[in-house]
Amino acid sequence: MSFTIATTVDEALVALGAGARPIAGGTDLVVGARHGKAALPADLVAIDRIDELGGVELDSAGVRVGALMSHAEVMTDPVIVGSYTAIADASALVGSPSTRHVGTLGGNVMNGSPAMDTGAPLTVLGATAELRSVTGGRTVSLDELWAGPGRTTANPGELLVALHLPPARDRCGSAYVRLEYRRAMEIAVVGAAAAVTLAADGTVASVAVALAAVAPTILSVDGVNEALVGRTAAAAGPVAGALASEQAAPISDLRASDRYRRHCIGVMAKRAVDAAARRADGESIAVPVNRSIGIGAA
Amino acid sequence: MAIAEVPRFVRADGPDKVTGSGRYAADINLTGQLVAKFRYAGVSHARITKLDTSAASAMPGVFAVLTAADVPDVIYSPVVPDRRLFAKDVVRFEGELVAAVAAVDAATAQAAADAIVVEYEDLPIVDDLEAAMADGSPLVHQDWESYAVTGDTVQRPNVASFSSIEKGDVDAAMANADHVVMSRYVADGCHALPIEPRAVVAQWEGEKVTIWTSTQVPFDARAGVCETLQMPASKVRVIVPHLGGGFGGKCGFHFEAHVAALAKAARRPVKLVFSRQEEMVAPDRRREGMIVDITSGVKADGTLVARSGWIAIDNGAYTADAAFFPQLAAMHVAGPYAMEAVKIEASLVYTNHQPSGSVRAPTAPQACWALESHTDELAAMVGMDPVEFRRANIVDEGIEGAAGQVYGEIGLRRCLDAAVEASAYGDDLPDNEAVGVAISWWPSFPGPSGAYIKIDSDGSGMVITGAQECGTGSVMTLRMLAAKELGMEPEDFQLVYQDTSAAPYDTGATGSQTLLNNGRAVVEGAREVAAQLRDLAADRLEAAPDDIVLASGKAHVSGSPDKAVSIVELAGVAAEGEMLIGKGSGTPPEYPSVSAVCVGDQGLAGWAGPQFACHAVHVRLDRETGVVRVLDVSAAHDSGTIINPVAAHGQVEGGIMMGVGQALTEGTQYGDDAKQRNTGLLEYKLQTAADAPTIHTEFIEIPDPNAGPYGAKGLAEAPNVPTAAAIANGVAKLVGMPVRQLPMTAERVWMTSEGMSS
Repeated sequence: MSFTIATTVDEALVALGAGARPIAGGTDLVVGARHGKAALPADLVAIDRIDELGGVELDSAGVRVGALMSHAEVMTDPVIVGSYTAIADASALVGSPSTRHVGTLGGNVMNGSPAMDTGAPLTVLGATAELRSVTGGRTVSLDELWAGPGRTTANPGELLVALHLPPARDRCGSAYVRLEYRRAMEIAVVGAAAAVTLAADGTVASVAVALAAVAPTILSVDGVNEALVGRTAAAAGPVAGALASEQAAPISDLRASDRYRRHCIGVMAKRAVDAAARRADGESIAVPVNRSIGIGAA
Repeated sequence: MAIAEVPRFVRADGPDKVTGSGRYAADINLTGQLVAKFRYAGVSHARITKLDTSAASAMPGVFAVLTAADVPDVIYSPVVPDRRLFAKDVVRFEGELVAAVAAVDAATAQAAADAIVVEYEDLPIVDDLEAAMADGSPLVHQDWESYAVTGDTVQRPNVASFSSIEKGDVDAAMANADHVVMSRYVADGCHALPIEPRAVVAQWEGEKVTIWTSTQVPFDARAGVCETLQMPASKVRVIVPHLGGGFGGKCGFHFEAHVAALAKAARRPVKLVFSRQEEMVAPDRRREGMIVDITSGVKADGTLVARSGWIAIDNGAYTADAAFFPQLAAMHVAGPYAMEAVKIEASLVYTNHQPSGSVRAPTAPQACWALESHTDELAAMVGMDPVEFRRANIVDEGIEGAAGQVYGEIGLRRCLDAAVEASAYGDDLPDNEAVGVAISWWPSFPGPSGAYIKIDSDGSGMVITGAQECGTGSVMTLRMLAAKELGMEPEDFQLVYQDTSAAPYDTGATGSQTLLNNGRAVVEGAREVAAQLRDLAADRLEAAPDDIVLASGKAHVSGSPDKAVSIVELAGVAAEGEMLIGKGSGTPPEYPSVSAVCVGDQGLAGWAGPQFACHAVHVRLDRETGVVRVLDVSAAHDSGTIINPVAAHGQVEGGIMMGVGQALTEGTQYGDDAKQRNTGLLEYKLQTAADAPTIHTEFIEIPDPNAGPYGAKGLAEAPNVPTAAAIANGVAKLVGMPVRQLPMTAERVWMTSEGMSS
């Protein structure tokens, strides 16, 4: 049993290579252990003091978001809120203020829950994951990364160091909307993210939609771009909703039946496309969308 | 009319609780202390064919392993004694105790509990209320006829307690009605869910045991220990450190005897601390599921003429304190309405679920939800505004209620007017918003209670009371009552409380009764001290005792404020001779008589100090998903005189939040095996601070001569009663029909609006 406090990525990678598991905020690891979901790993390496893992940097390839960014940082970061708003929508809905202050974007991604809030936004925004180990590094798409509920394709010795986002386009907006039964300490019953780029005439130039909690991993909606390009923003939402309901493969559990989930994912997808299109059109909708529109508005 | 000059929240325990310096039962640690763990049945209904503790007992670090064979064979519970400390032969719910272990640490104790070998032969599961009542149903208790029930309790197979209220000729009255409306409403069970899971620590010295426990009712807990371990009360002391909430879930006697028995067997102090899951599965106190059928007859002009009702209440596997639930539920299905004829029958039905027990206003939120939803259906049937329909049919001064009680001056009509007026009722609202209105009532519970008051040589006062503080602030408020009698400030008094060996008996933090009963005792005790002070002052000031006024920390001669002596000085004099000590108890208020015929009467057809309320709730509906949000609640309450307004507002606000949870998100989900499926706070959804609506509260203060001090009635439970009902009526307006299941989850609301049944 060991607990290593790493201050550099290299130190962390050595510990990981020796079999330790990483801990940042601990909001999944510790809570899961207390609930008997999985025992705490015998060897842990704390990565929460590694400066290289934090921050948001703009470069020619787009934006690098450090894996250690907390949800509280993500939801208020000007670059993310300004150009990758759906991620901020998602981080702002995670748990409670205390969860958001210790829980990290990287932890959310690597925990691999199908109900993760940041997964669908990262997917529609075309994020890739930068993994490093003592033997080198590689960058993978999120689709390649997530293997199933709670499972990723990362090797035990690999650490997620950053997420990379392509440069923001003009007239592009994004949003994440989720079904929730209460306004804090909630977990997605279903959730949907959309990224929409508008043409000069206001019609849809490109669109991506991804869904949370309706399949073993985050689900990208197939054919949504082909179906929506050229439509008006107003007409796009319902079509996206119908496609989302059709492609979802939800389960029944204590939170909802499969039938209700299938219905609601369509509603969420429609709202996400609507909100993303409005943002693309220059409208300012405060983060998170869930608190700004419809029943969530003050 | 707050009795303090400036309304303020007088709370002695606040700073300790807020800063973390306060100590709860789980904070107590004693030298040599062992850890207790329980072995639960884990199955809902089975016969024990093998129980072998030898491997557990042999484990290093295990000091005691107890089963039914190791404790007195006592069958207990008030009114319907039907259970033992440990299962004997048969287990009847998943959380039933089969064995208990005390060991050096938690891991060892858990390993030993797991090492106990228990084999079962399955028995048929009884988990459907109607099927359980049908002829030929498997029985939860084969020996039910042998139980030594007390009072007028009526039992039937799988029915632990049956009550009815009958007045007039219902059939004839229904025949004369222009419309007859029948409704069925079904409520899921739910939990009290105090944030502090309970803890018990027991330590023996010779033949005496001291038990620190998180209970709302220390004297009840002591009585349970005495009964089950066959000990005299003089050998058992129960102390409650700060209590981290109760909401009824910590009423009654629970695990104090198990821990005391372990400590005795182990010859060491033993400590039990529950996990959240244990807190949700093992105690015999959760809010009961219920089926309510109501049929009402109305005249075309909106006059309510007759009501019949059939109620089935999920008792769970054992009866705990629930024998009176049928009568209370029947009263709430009758409701605070006048009608010429009524016949309501209610049964407390055994199932293989966790036992039900008094959670904040037992039976009332569910029954009120059913009745008030039904009332809006009645109003719609005759084309009346629901508020007008209520105005036309509610009880009022001089009017006879359904059970035949004739009321004095009551504030129900004013509550209805005030709550509706303060709300957006009748305003032009967006098409996804509406205001629902519900009225309610709740009894006060008179009972014996006692307190001592003393003033020490330095002039500081002390209230020594058997009352228990469960977070409502009512024990804290006792200081205001003493201070007023003695011309002192509440802060001049310390409290000694929550210790059965320090103070006279009190029923505890149950039945909204602390101020009603212990308030009376404190006032009486303080008056004895006041008389002593007047005598002392009269001597010093050369005046008659009757002319001495106690005010501002002084005793002065009436009309001559300058002719005064300080209470501190008098206390110093008294300390050298006859000390300043008072005692109080007094006569509880009387239960009024009623004219209805009540089978299985548990004494709750006529209510002393009846409380009334109206909530008007502004809701918003997400039509596409069925998610409901409560925006604003206007509450008006007649709880008689309000003694401590800040605390009273807190009670109303907390009760409303609990009601919002019951209405929308809180419900136990069962598997086919009759086991609970959502026993954690991830899947059992409480409301959070972020969900809290704006709450506007108004008190209709009518001093009740047959109630507590200054005409105060209870208040702790009443605010929990009408919230779910009012939310339901708002939702029904938006959906176009009532949602007939509680909680009205988003999925149920959506299904109702889509015309689907679940």
